[in-house]
Amino acid sequence: MTAPVLTPITQALNAGVLTRQELKALMVRSDVPALKHLALWIMLVLSTGSLIHLTYGSVWMWAAMFLHGVVLVHHFSLQHECCHYTVFRTRWLNDLVGNICAIIIMLPNRHFRYEHCDHHTYTQLKGDDPELIELPRSLGGYLWYLSSLPYWRSKFTELGRHTFGHLSKEEERFIPKEERQTIFWEARLMLVAYVAIGGFCIATHWWGPVIYWWGPVLLGEPVMRFIRMTEHVGKPNVRDMTENTRTNYVTRPMRFLAWNMNYHAEHHYAASVPFHALPALHEKLKGHVAVESRGYIGAHIDILAQLFGRKHRCDATKGN
Amino acid sequence: MPRERAWRDLIPVAQIYRGDATPVSLGSREFAVFDTDQGITVALARCTHGAANLCDGYFDGTHIECPLHQGLFDARTGVAVAAPARVKLRMILSREVDGMVQVFI
Repeated sequence: MTAPVLTPITQALNAGVLTRQELKALMVRSDVPALKHLALWIMLVLSTGSLIHLTYGSVWMWAAMFLHGVVLVHHFSLQHECCHYTVFRTRWLNDLVGNICAIIIMLPNRHFRYEHCDHHTYTQLKGDDPELIELPRSLGGYLWYLSSLPYWRSKFTELGRHTFGHLSKEEERFIPKEERQTIFWEARLMLVAYVAIGGFCIATHWWGPVIYWWGPVLLGEPVMRFIRMTEHVGKPNVRDMTENTRTNYVTRPMRFLAWNMNYHAEHHYAASVPFHALPALHEKLKGHVAVESRGYIGAHIDILAQLFGRKHRCDATKGN
Repeated sequence: MPRERAWRDLIPVAQIYRGDATPVSLGSREFAVFDTDQGITVALARCTHGAANLCDGYFDGTHIECPLHQGLFDARTGVAVAAPARVKLRMILSREVDGMVQVFI
């Protein structure tokens, strides 16, 4: 028997939420919006990097490194869009830019692509969604996640595992046999690059990569963890896309940083719609998806309310 | 006893989306009619990787992209050209007769 169609957009089309013509118009690809966004992006990275240079040696340097780090960790948003091939019309540009982002934030691109495919298939389903972030059980668990320490532990373990040619049981499910060597070599090349850069720093006593790159990424990652939690954490562990994902209204600068990925419910509805068309898709899907009008802070108020028992836990089962 | 294969009417040419993919059901089967740069082709509409109807994906006149995972197929030949798609689409022999797209099934 044929498996039922899982794509939410097909369900939305069947429900008459938007027409096929409207959907197809929103899917149109172009290199232009992304190249404009990318030009501003590069200027922003250079600007925040310059702030570190200008404050070098003063106490303000830490603030500048944090600010630069917040920008750098948002390469995740760009890489995420690239892995959907919706940033550029020219498909290979998505691979190129995705791999550059991968190096910047240590998130091997091919592996992320496969992992993310399963995230879209099994969004928010416990035991199946490889990117699922559990609703914490306590304030300690919440702060522990936000510290980024469990994230980095997981990423370094992953890099080491792949370098030695191993996959976890979960990865064996979503990475086909034909692709496993690619995943292993991707990790090895990334590790060699990092070791070479680190070795060069030690040999020359030039700490540029640490001050302008790795240090800021470590300082900025808690902000990315904070944002990633707003996408699904605190939403029910069900397949229904109108319930399991949040769209967050955020300020224009944050939308710029996120490549419009704050329109997360819309993205899950139609992952083939490019980032620049997500606000228009949002207008079409208004009232059909879960929206947090208070933005990222509002999402965390919701998460904390569930955590402190002021609101029903979304993952509670009967008897809990 | 298996049913004999024959040419069957699928959809009038005038009703297909120009330059796009059109979903058509015939009995219990779902087909995708592609108006490609090199003419009309027909395939089974389901992605060979995930449970998705390819007609709802992005089509550029040559390649159809799965709406669920953005795997890519050549709509003229069915060949899977980008991951996670690996298995070829099942293309259906088709022709145009008197303004009607017919399939040999």
